[in-house]
Amino acid sequence: MIDLQGYGPRLLEGAMVTIELAVLSLILAVILGLLTASAKLSRNRLIHGIGTLYTTLVRGVPDLVLMMLLFYGGQIGINMLTDQLYYAFDIDIFININAFVAGVITIGLIFGAYMGETFRGAFQAVEEGQMEAARAYGMSPLLAFRRVRFPLMMRHALPGIGNNWMVLLKTTALVSIIGLTDMVRVAAEATKATHEPFLFMIPVAMIYLLIATLSEWGFAKLTKRYNTGFGESSEWNN
Amino acid sequence: MAATPIPLEAKGIKKRFGDHEVLKGISLQAHKGDVITLIGASGSGKSTFLRCMNLLEQPDEGELIVHNEAINFRTTKQGREPADWKQVERIRAKLSMVFQNFNLWSHMTLLENVIEAPVHVLGKPRKQAIDEARALLDRVGLLDRADYYPTQMSGGQQQRGAIARALAMDPEVMLFDEPTSALDPELVGDVLQVMRGLADEGRTMILVTHEIAFARDVSSQVIYLHQGVVEESGTPADVLDNPRSERLRQFLAPKH
Amino acid sequence: MEQLNGWFTDLLSDNTIFTANTLGFYWGGFVTTVQLVFLSLVIGMILAVPLAIGRGSKRRWIKLPIYAYTYVFRGTPLLIQLYLVYYGVVFFEGIQDSIFWVVFKQAFFPALIAFTLNTAAYTTEIFHGAIKNTAKGEIEAARAYGMSRKLMMRRIILPSAFRRALPAYGNEVIFMLHASAVASVVTIMDLTGAAYYVYARFYAPFDAFIFVALIYLCLTFGIMFVFRKLEKRLLAHLRPRGA
Repeated sequence: MIDLQGYGPRLLEGAMVTIELAVLSLILAVILGLLTASAKLSRNRLIHGIGTLYTTLVRGVPDLVLMMLLFYGGQIGINMLTDQLYYAFDIDIFININAFVAGVITIGLIFGAYMGETFRGAFQAVEEGQMEAARAYGMSPLLAFRRVRFPLMMRHALPGIGNNWMVLLKTTALVSIIGLTDMVRVAAEATKATHEPFLFMIPVAMIYLLIATLSEWGFAKLTKRYNTGFGESSEWNN
Repeated sequence: MAATPIPLEAKGIKKRFGDHEVLKGISLQAHKGDVITLIGASGSGKSTFLRCMNLLEQPDEGELIVHNEAINFRTTKQGREPADWKQVERIRAKLSMVFQNFNLWSHMTLLENVIEAPVHVLGKPRKQAIDEARALLDRVGLLDRADYYPTQMSGGQQQRGAIARALAMDPEVMLFDEPTSALDPELVGDVLQVMRGLADEGRTMILVTHEIAFARDVSSQVIYLHQGVVEESGTPADVLDNPRSERLRQFLAPKH
Repeated sequence: MEQLNGWFTDLLSDNTIFTANTLGFYWGGFVTTVQLVFLSLVIGMILAVPLAIGRGSKRRWIKLPIYAYTYVFRGTPLLIQLYLVYYGVVFFEGIQDSIFWVVFKQAFFPALIAFTLNTAAYTTEIFHGAIKNTAKGEIEAARAYGMSRKLMMRRIILPSAFRRALPAYGNEVIFMLHASAVASVVTIMDLTGAAYYVYARFYAPFDAFIFVALIYLCLTFGIMFVFRKLEKRLLAHLRPRGA
């Protein structure tokens, strides 16, 4: 095993934190993104307005500022809430926001807005004729959504999801600033202790590149699968 | 007798793309005032031949002489190429080409398109180039479109603008590569009318076209190409009205 | 009006956080952020033009190193790049004894270098994509009219590519403004640094960070406004007349 002056194992643990954080945030972002897209496509003006406000605010403010606001502000906010509960109903609970949860929530919130834009565009790209056909064959709205609109939408959304994932992955580095021990924080601590920035930062950079390269490859595969039946790469043409 | 220099002469031009020989040794002489029309089915090599003349395609064999100046070639591992690109640039500036898809520069207004090469390639003073460009735009009926961008004009207007751009170079020879093929039928007439005017004033022109009636009207020579070879060549009366080969007869027959 | 004025004065006199002192901090942070972002964008763009041209070269020894550079800088977090330059700069032989140390021992310059290298990588790819998308026919026309490669690049390819790159470059400018918040990590008192200071001093996360978020929001809208104006002027040739 690579020792790196004893920091090797911790660096690997940090890498696992980075990956877990990224994957969980991605899941949250996709869920929020789907909700946002539905909100922005909604005919209800209030819901539409909330969706627009959310995406505009998130895309207009730096990730780090949002992260600090949610992490430092979130704890105080929750304390105020639990205090109220205590005074009003005599319920005594204490919720401690840990950095990991704060990280997942913030990154999920930020990329939920970006995913929302991706999904909105993708939903709009699905031809209405396809849904009409589904209704004509007697599918219920839910069934038509699940069997027709959603898979078609995914084909349009995949490139955007891929791009968002790449940016999200790099954004996870910011959690090291609010105190979560991801691989960047381990490397930063090691650098400060040993004054060897290259020894620690370059391996971390390489791990990021490795994950990015692997994901790029994975998304290319997925895109190919979702594109079955579209374009000239279909095997029927051979 | 000191003969006046021949504007353009091509001798034994051959060109292959991979295994496919597109041009199998074609020659042509354009004297001053000649209007030479190249006709033939698609794939006959007529456009490739035209593009060899200003070296947008590099001929694998053969000679090109423009106004008494022979183009120098050298052979490298990749094939034959011009030995002196400065010479090629100088020669190209004497052979203005008009394209099938107009190819006006989209980020410049029509006027800027017309003065671009005169100012930056020929080194003309800007003021003079603008005056000349306005006169040319007036001539092709587009003076009121001088400040329009190409996408803001119809295909016919763009092509007439492209002809003005070609004229602004005061070219030795004008090369037309299917100038009306990309146009809606109702826009073809205006472009042909401008070209007819150029032929009448004695411009030396080489043109690839499918407009047989127009070719009959303006050409001094018609060349029929088939699979990279000159199948028939002569005056419009010889080639278009009395075709010798069955193939040309079929090519000229009205298609219903 | 009178009422509104009174309400506003009350609001200001009531608060203990946004005093002239803290507002001064925010102003200093604003100036630092704008300087840092503006300088790195300008230098980054100057670097990106030749890099983008080289990135499209046929010669592998030119295009591959440039591709490797953009791949690495676009594939890793800016924070890591910042740490590498900030902590790594002392490893340059003799820099601490040279006259440059006066500037390099401040965090501003390592940050400027990291930001510049980062934005240059993104901008190179944006310009490269725009250059690659130049209409083939327009290039052919330039060749047919006797333009040399250099003249064609200067007069035809670059002017048209820059225009087409404008929307993507506008996004890059906003991205850079937001990414610059990490400068606060290496002791720079930029906008985010100022907000963190105010938060830490008054333990008032909402006031400190929401205020700075609003400033960033205004800056973002300002940039978007400028680019929309620019696009309207420089992309006029892509729209029908009078639209």
